[in-house]
Amino acid sequence: MNYAMLALIKKDFGGITSNRRLMLPVVLVPLILTVLLPSVFLLAIRFAPEDPDILKMLELLPAKMRSDSVTQTAAGMILNYIMPAFFLMIPIMTSSIMAAGSFVGEKEKHTLETLLCCPLTLRQIFCAKVFASFLLSMFASLLSFLVMILVLGLESFFLMGTLLLPGANWILVILLISPAISLIAITLIVKGSAKAQSVEESQQSAVFLILPVILLVAGQFSGLMLLRFPILLIVGILCALLAWVLLKKAMKRFTYELLLK
Amino acid sequence: MHAITLDNLCKTYPGGKQAVKEVSLSLSPGEVFGFLGPNGAGKTTAVKLLNGILSPTAGSCLVYGIDPAREPEKVHAISGVMTEHAQMYDHLTGMQNLIFYASLFGIRKEEGAARAASLLSSLELTDAKDQKLAAYSTGMRQRLSLARAFIHHPKVLFLDEPTSGLDPESIMNVNRLIQGLAKKDGVTVFLCTHQLRYAQEICTRYGLIEDGRLLASGTLKELREQILPGMTLRVRADSVPAESAFRQTGERQYERDIRSEDEIPAIIRRIVEAGGNIYAAGSEQPSLEQIYFALTAKGKEAPQ
Repeated sequence: MNYAMLALIKKDFGGITSNRRLMLPVVLVPLILTVLLPSVFLLAIRFAPEDPDILKMLELLPAKMRSDSVTQTAAGMILNYIMPAFFLMIPIMTSSIMAAGSFVGEKEKHTLETLLCCPLTLRQIFCAKVFASFLLSMFASLLSFLVMILVLGLESFFLMGTLLLPGANWILVILLISPAISLIAITLIVKGSAKAQSVEESQQSAVFLILPVILLVAGQFSGLMLLRFPILLIVGILCALLAWVLLKKAMKRFTYELLLK
Repeated sequence: MHAITLDNLCKTYPGGKQAVKEVSLSLSPGEVFGFLGPNGAGKTTAVKLLNGILSPTAGSCLVYGIDPAREPEKVHAISGVMTEHAQMYDHLTGMQNLIFYASLFGIRKEEGAARAASLLSSLELTDAKDQKLAAYSTGMRQRLSLARAFIHHPKVLFLDEPTSGLDPESIMNVNRLIQGLAKKDGVTVFLCTHQLRYAQEICTRYGLIEDGRLLASGTLKELREQILPGMTLRVRADSVPAESAFRQTGERQYERDIRSEDEIPAIIRRIVEAGGNIYAAGSEQPSLEQIYFALTAKGKEAPQ
């Protein structure tokens, strides 16, 4: 990473943080997904009357997934099985917004041609831009996770008298699935950047990633497929492999003529 | 070594449009070369080929011996490019934009700021240096783009319509700057424009292009000799002899074509001897504009 690439990454960061229209969802969506949503779930668990159907469902869980009380078991389910699926929307959204602004935004504002006339190779420009989007996505994901753990920890302590801690699933989500899914989102944006003429148009490709996440969420609520550690590990490895392949393909398509089409 | 070489350069776009057709020319260091032609003639495509943004369909081009199709980043390191579509960032100030572009060329922040301040002063943008680019007028943007193209002290400058949108005073200022860079620092300037009068003021050599084909190239003197040899003699007189080949262009205004200035004394003498009173006389060589139109008219007359 040379001085020019660092300058490009810094400029891309500045480009998004100075744009209120782009920054708003980057701040707001993680807050809703990691603070508001789990808080509502926790309050519902704490104050809702014990539903016999839910009790029946919790009894179906493997013994090691159950805690001393129903509220603790349900809270653990929310944090370690339901929330990871919701959480994946954060890296997808942030990396899509950043990549769209960074790749298509430059094209839309006619600054890409100026950038392409600098003494960086296309590969260096590509890497710097992907890295900037990836970094923002990881920063937003990590910060959201820490805020969520802090808020849920405090809420569970005061509402239930117990400290709700994240399970092993989160290690995979933070260290493997989020980075992989961020890279997939970025490469999808880059792939579509040749055709897309506006930032909004290019962000639409992220919809294809949100759909499987919605299915995952539905799977958790319906109990169809619980995101247990081995399943998450397989999903993570598959995502990482897909990200690597897509990244290689996107790099090959990153040519002057295609970019300025 | 030539600063720029084009050897039978061709570019056909995927749609089939032939934008550049077998163009060959070479530029020496320090030349201000005017690449002249109407909109859509292939000037911008030639600049993109010389910067490696486009790849030639046939032929080749070199910038200080570097092939832009193979090593575009090396060409970029020694070139400054200013085109209509090469814009800067609206969310940054004029100064921040220049510092950013300087950093892309590996220039540290302090050095970049010093160079930017000097260029902003030369281009009379010092007062606007801390304004966001979004607040800049078209002319100010154009001048800032020039500053950006100069920031890394390039050996070659590719300027596409550098004075469009500028007021006359700014044009003079920009011309002075470009000519200074060429003369003092030996910077080679490849200037694309359709404004022939402007080109005649600033360029040392010209290439006339139409429909992707180079019609002619050379200095103004060479072009005159090739295309429109001779000159026009204009006199203001109360009468001229009928057989003297003069055309009347107005009241007491006459003109005729001559081959060289050597013919003038005899012609004047004949008018006086025939009893004509001469109030003024002067000769004029064909302008670049006249040469260009004569050349394109020839092309149209020629059988396809």
